[in-house]
Amino acid sequence: MEPQHLRTLARARSLVAALADGAQTVEASSGYERVLIELDRVHGDESPALDTRGLSTDRGVLLAEATSTIEELAEHGVDALDIELVLALLTDAHFLDVN
Amino acid sequence: MYGESGELMRTELAALLRLHRIQQQLGGPRRQAPYGSAPLVEREQFGRVIRCYRQTIIAWCSDAMRTVQPVTFSNLPAKASNPFRPHTMSGTAAAELFRALEHSRTHSSAPLASLELLGTPSDNTVVEHWRHAARGAALAEHDTTGDLAERLTAPQAQAILGDVAAIARALVVLDQRYSNTPGWEHLSQFDRLGWTALATALDVSLGQPDYTVDQTGWRPRVKPLQGPPKPGILGVLQAEHNLLVRLKSVPTAMNLRLIVDSQRLLSNQLVPYAERIDPRLASLWQTRAATYALIQQQLRNLGGRLGKGNGAAAEGANVLGRLKSVTPGTVIEPRVLAGFQTLFNHVDTRLANLIEDGVELGTLLQRVSLPRLVDTTEQLIHPLRERLVPVARPSDLPVVRTVREQLRPPSGGAQPATPGRSRADLHAALVHRPTSSCALERESPGL
Repeated sequence: MEPQHLRTLARARSLVAALADGAQTVEASSGYERVLIELDRVHGDESPALDTRGLSTDRGVLLAEATSTIEELAEHGVDALDIELVLALLTDAHFLDVN
Repeated sequence: MYGESGELMRTELAALLRLHRIQQQLGGPRRQAPYGSAPLVEREQFGRVIRCYRQTIIAWCSDAMRTVQPVTFSNLPAKASNPFRPHTMSGTAAAELFRALEHSRTHSSAPLASLELLGTPSDNTVVEHWRHAARGAALAEHDTTGDLAERLTAPQAQAILGDVAAIARALVVLDQRYSNTPGWEHLSQFDRLGWTALATALDVSLGQPDYTVDQTGWRPRVKPLQGPPKPGILGVLQAEHNLLVRLKSVPTAMNLRLIVDSQRLLSNQLVPYAERIDPRLASLWQTRAATYALIQQQLRNLGGRLGKGNGAAAEGANVLGRLKSVTPGTVIEPRVLAGFQTLFNHVDTRLANLIEDGVELGTLLQRVSLPRLVDTTEQLIHPLRERLVPVARPSDLPVVRTVREQLRPPSGGAQPATPGRSRADLHAALVHRPTSSCALERESPGL
């Protein structure tokens, strides 16, 4: 993986982890955790460590940024279908979170 | 397991000790016939079979004595002796019992009971009790030899020694009671065997035997519960059991995270059901869910592709899938709740071992943090050479600390092992006197 790809991936993981930590219910937190695991699976579990510094505290901002960062992974050669599946999981987790 | 095979022997011998007027009992179905009316040949044949069973029991006693010998020390105060001299059992009650058992074993003309004899039921109650006792002895050979010899503690050895002494005393009593059986062969030097068994029992009673030995020995392999999923909450229990069985193989880091997630959700979702029946369990499971949530967070920065664990992860998914089909108001029996708690303890112990060993052995690796871009330094940023590195000091890792301090079930909470009912029953049978019903029977006409 190129350094920029690694940086984007680390950012995406950190954002999703922050969403999981602040989820309203255990089910929603588990849903975000599944997104994280799926991201790692897509990258062969070679993801870098989380870096939670400088993340927003607003959950809406976190979600929007996580979505755009995951979409950005397509520019680094990640399969578009995999990205769509990850985004679908993220949407499901968000649905559990707000309901 | 020695607890089961030993109990089988003791229970059957206690039942035999309570049987009197043996010659009539050996008459088989014709129990009402006058004394001595059972055909001589038939009783002689029964006697021959019983001696084979007895030889199997003596053989186990002798083998068990050989196993416990290295860690057997007399409880009697010993004379001051040179501590640099090797310990010998010579002169102790246990040594004499061992010698007496070996003597009885080698001087008997009866062979060991064959597999056919052990496996063929008899119509006669007496023979059937002997057969079961011999089966217990044959099964106990798995439990008291081999690996056990290396791990046996001195107090556990005392427990086995006490059992052998009680069984030897029972054999001596029965030997005398069967003396009218045609062709009966007494135990060689039975009086010596009886006295040494009594002396050994007294010696053991001076110490504190450890009955956890009942938990040792051969156990059948735990297998997954196959077949279609059971309805309702039992299906969840079935999947959790299967998850535990599948955890035998080491999972990859990702599968481990999936399993941890399933346990977190399961514990959390079972809390409302447990609250109605057992609030103590509900509180325990709430804590368990919180512990798994913490472990889940701490596992995010660990990776590693060694291992498998697909089966366990799939069973974790089954647990959650089946839990969704359970109706919210369902009342779960305390027995089922206790089953969950037992499985949780095993799963927690296994996962704790997997995480600790994984970090220690390098199957679980730490993810590397990316260097930060800082404008104020004029140094070049080195590209990452490795993405996963072994953990330098496992004890410093938060997940290892959590596992040690919160996940692993406490070991000190177990109840102290007790001698169990069968030991007390055998001792009671050894000293019992025929009850009034036996006396009445004896006085009845025609007996």
